[in-house]
Amino acid sequence: MKEKFLYLIIIALLPLVSCQEEVFLELKENPSTVVIEAIWTDVSGLNQVSVSRSKGYYDSEQAEIVTDAEVYILNQNTGEKFNFQYLPQAQTYLPINNRVARPGNSYQLNVIYDTCHYQSVGITLHPPRLDSIAVDFREERPFREEGYYLTIYGDIPFTSDNNYRIRIVRNDTLLNRRNDYFLFDDEFGTEILNRGFELNGYAFKKNDRVRLELYRLNRDAFDYLNELVGLLFNDGGLFSPPPQNPTSNIKVISGGGDVLGYFMTSTVVNASLTIDED
Amino acid sequence: MKFFLLTISLFSFLCISVYAQENSLTVKGIILEAGTNVPLPGANVYWEMDPQKGDISNVDGLFSVPQVTLPATLIITYIGFEKISQTITETDNLGSLRILLRPEERSLEEVVVTERRADENVRGMEMGKSILPISTIKNIPALFGEVDLLRSLQLLPGIQTAGEGTTGLFVRGGSSDQNLIQIDGAPVYNPSHFFGFFSVFNPDALENVELYRGNIPAQYGGRLSSLVDVSLKEGNTQSIRGEGGIGTISSRLTVDGPLFSDKSSFVISGRRTYADIFLGLANDPNIRNNALHFYDLSGKLMFRPTEKDKITISSYYGSDYLGLSELFGFGWSNWVNSGVWKRSISDILFLDVNLYYSQYNYEVSFSDEENGFVWDNKLAETGGKVDLMFLPNDKWKINAGYHGQYYGFAPISLLPDPGSAISTIETNPRNGIQNNFYISSLYDISEGLSIEAGLRLGLYNQVGKGVSYIYESGVPQSNESITDTITYSSFANMKFYNGLEPRVALRYMISPSLSFKAAYNRNFQYIQVATNSSAGLPIDRWVPAGPHISPIRSDQYSIGLFQNLSNNMWEVSIESYYKDFNNIIDLRQGANIIFTDNIETEIRTGRGWAYGLEFLLRKNIGKTTGWLGYTYSRTYRQIEGISMGLPFNPRFDRPHDLSLVLNHQINSVWSTSFTFVYTTGQAVTFPIGVYDIDTQRVPLYGPMRNEDRFPDYHRADASVTYKRPDAGRKWRGSWNFSIYNIYGRKNPFSYQFTEILNEEINFTPTPEQPIVTRRPGVVKTYLFTFLPSITYNFEF
Repeated sequence: MKEKFLYLIIIALLPLVSCQEEVFLELKENPSTVVIEAIWTDVSGLNQVSVSRSKGYYDSEQAEIVTDAEVYILNQNTGEKFNFQYLPQAQTYLPINNRVARPGNSYQLNVIYDTCHYQSVGITLHPPRLDSIAVDFREERPFREEGYYLTIYGDIPFTSDNNYRIRIVRNDTLLNRRNDYFLFDDEFGTEILNRGFELNGYAFKKNDRVRLELYRLNRDAFDYLNELVGLLFNDGGLFSPPPQNPTSNIKVISGGGDVLGYFMTSTVVNASLTIDED
Repeated sequence: MKFFLLTISLFSFLCISVYAQENSLTVKGIILEAGTNVPLPGANVYWEMDPQKGDISNVDGLFSVPQVTLPATLIITYIGFEKISQTITETDNLGSLRILLRPEERSLEEVVVTERRADENVRGMEMGKSILPISTIKNIPALFGEVDLLRSLQLLPGIQTAGEGTTGLFVRGGSSDQNLIQIDGAPVYNPSHFFGFFSVFNPDALENVELYRGNIPAQYGGRLSSLVDVSLKEGNTQSIRGEGGIGTISSRLTVDGPLFSDKSSFVISGRRTYADIFLGLANDPNIRNNALHFYDLSGKLMFRPTEKDKITISSYYGSDYLGLSELFGFGWSNWVNSGVWKRSISDILFLDVNLYYSQYNYEVSFSDEENGFVWDNKLAETGGKVDLMFLPNDKWKINAGYHGQYYGFAPISLLPDPGSAISTIETNPRNGIQNNFYISSLYDISEGLSIEAGLRLGLYNQVGKGVSYIYESGVPQSNESITDTITYSSFANMKFYNGLEPRVALRYMISPSLSFKAAYNRNFQYIQVATNSSAGLPIDRWVPAGPHISPIRSDQYSIGLFQNLSNNMWEVSIESYYKDFNNIIDLRQGANIIFTDNIETEIRTGRGWAYGLEFLLRKNIGKTTGWLGYTYSRTYRQIEGISMGLPFNPRFDRPHDLSLVLNHQINSVWSTSFTFVYTTGQAVTFPIGVYDIDTQRVPLYGPMRNEDRFPDYHRADASVTYKRPDAGRKWRGSWNFSIYNIYGRKNPFSYQFTEILNEEINFTPTPEQPIVTRRPGVVKTYLFTFLPSITYNFEF
């Protein structure tokens, strides 16, 4: 987190001595690759599996959606099978009967498409405790705009698998710029929620409706998202590492070829509030 | 070990036997600049009646020529000085002649004090060695007018740059941490200011710089790819003098003179930037309250307690600071100290003792009630060298010595402010002791053939305090695979490595002005930087070899032809090399390097190789001087887990590299300089597609690294210097006008593959200005185009 902060400083300094312009580069193109994004939580409205294909870099058309894949998830503890069905309106696969994950169980994602079988495994980990959310007004200063800021209180009782993501929805809009990713692990300790953890990257206004989603991830999904954020910040310059696709936790079991994307199973702690004067 | 002892014995035997055959009478002395008593290295000394019996004065101005029948006339010549013919008789003090040279009054060129003789490149044993006189470096047009040693070295064949405006050196396929950059024998761990845009060397404080990239003598070791040996200037012993400059972004001042008598001197030099002064003029308080500066201070004391002894003590301190509104602070500094004692034990035996201490540290602070912290780290190296040079006769030179090093890499510490929500982080320290023994012998077998053979033995121990981790199956896969932890007390042995480093070179004179040279060098490096970015950062993490990280090793083979033309006016050389690297490291994807204690889980190990052909045409004498250098080279790495385990080019692999440097003295008042550089674009990875994931549009990359290229890089710079016709005045001033990138080439610094929102490259949506259109695009960032600067330089 602090390395990213320093990197942002360097990026902020570059404009002092640099200029930018849009250019066109001739780029190689490869055959499209299957992309799978599978979300499997204990909250029914979040669960879905998207299957699509990559496209040429300059292609501004919508990505090709795969509609005829066979998608299911197996509960490796009980042997239960959860089938997914493609829903054209949502352009994604949804679990039949709105089934959800059960905390503590291990799940296996299966996607079968065009003679290829893709598979991934994850455990739906028990959630941390979220006790309360405090709202404080902060005045403007460097690196912080004026507004209302959230501080979350709770407890992380786990000694391992402490990989968390917070997603924030403001007025029904998911905050999804690259700066909005909030990922943390126990590198800086597990008492962070006990002391109160201010989400200092998000300033809210009065009357904003805020929904906060706290996910506890398996390490491979957490690493995937971290690498994704790193890639979004990679400017291709000397201070950036060579760009690489985030490491997928989905394997090609049969049929060959590559696969992009990730499988994320998690419990979700939800909290909603409206920012008001008090 | 037995092999080493056997070799030493063999060398000793050869020394004694040949010395017995060759010893003869000699005439010795010292050559000094009249008026300042500064020793003049590189002067030609020979008998008028027998020019074959001559010598070149060494770095201390000392020379030794075989005695002939006396009386006889001794000729002393030196570029920029009046020629001297001195009759030597039996009654002269033949063991310590004192010869004073006066500068030529009508010399058009600035006097260049250098150890280099005119035909040194042909007759010397050095391969891949370059000497850039400080006066030449000062003439090269510079970015922001800041004369820069390392950026000047990038203009030499075989040396690549990572990109626009950076001072990192990538020498013959090596990465930038494979260069030993030292000041008066002490290493400098971060030789750059301002994130690599400027090097730490104030040109006024420098005496000399030598770059070895091919045949590195056995006296030196510790890095694979090059030695940049920088000497700080010694003060003169006659009168107080000064020089300095007022530039576009910095000013500098150097004062030197006698200390107590003409046997001791001092020099003190300083430089500071003033970007923060301009920031203070801004209307925006967010800019006005920022700090951005760097400064250097250096000093050197010289004492000559006896005719045979010389002691110098030098110190350098350089610091950078970036502060944003008293909220964020980031500073880093180098502190380099060195003491050197040189003693002429006898006419044929010389002793050099060097003790040094070098420290690099950085500190990042963030003042915030909730998340404030101070994060710092310190690297230190303490060392001592003893070198004995034995000159049995004028055909033979032997060096033997010892170099001891102690690496003290302190824990990386992150301390939260009181009330801060984050936790303390402190890694374990990493320390090492390295003992190096070497011996080398240079012998002129015949008039045309000379051979230099050397052997260096490095004995390295990683020592406590420290912690070592044991992993499942012995493979450091991840933190989770740690099965045990071993804690070591201070100086307890944690891991031992040793390596023999043979160095062999030969030179054969095909004709008096044409030579063929060949060399083989093996080098071990026991510390390295763990990074996968191409430019060095102040927070780069140096990692010593340990239980899971092996030292890196290189073997280099090189051959070359060297010819001088028109009485040494022109130098032409062509050199070729092949070099391989073992145990090179890279980082795994998403590696967390800075705060991890078990760094071995974050790295990948592999090998590399590089080859190239370097051509140099150089003109040293006349109104127009300069050089044309061209290199064709390729560099490869092969590391498991990267690029499917297949060979790939690192970013600094730039096959074609051409540099043209021209200096022209128009008259006694005006001079001008011009440089042109052309290189193949950097090896990079461009996307081959795009896909959607987690509501993001993400570029898709192929499995191979760096298969694409930036466009070719080229740039021309020019400068004009006006030197007031004020000969004889106490204050002598000159103006330098320079333009960097004279034709405004937009060389890319980076390409960012991003979405273009609302047809603006930096559009930020707001509730009032929502996104209307979006499409894929490529945004090029480029740095310096047509950048003029002006500098006033002065001497008094």
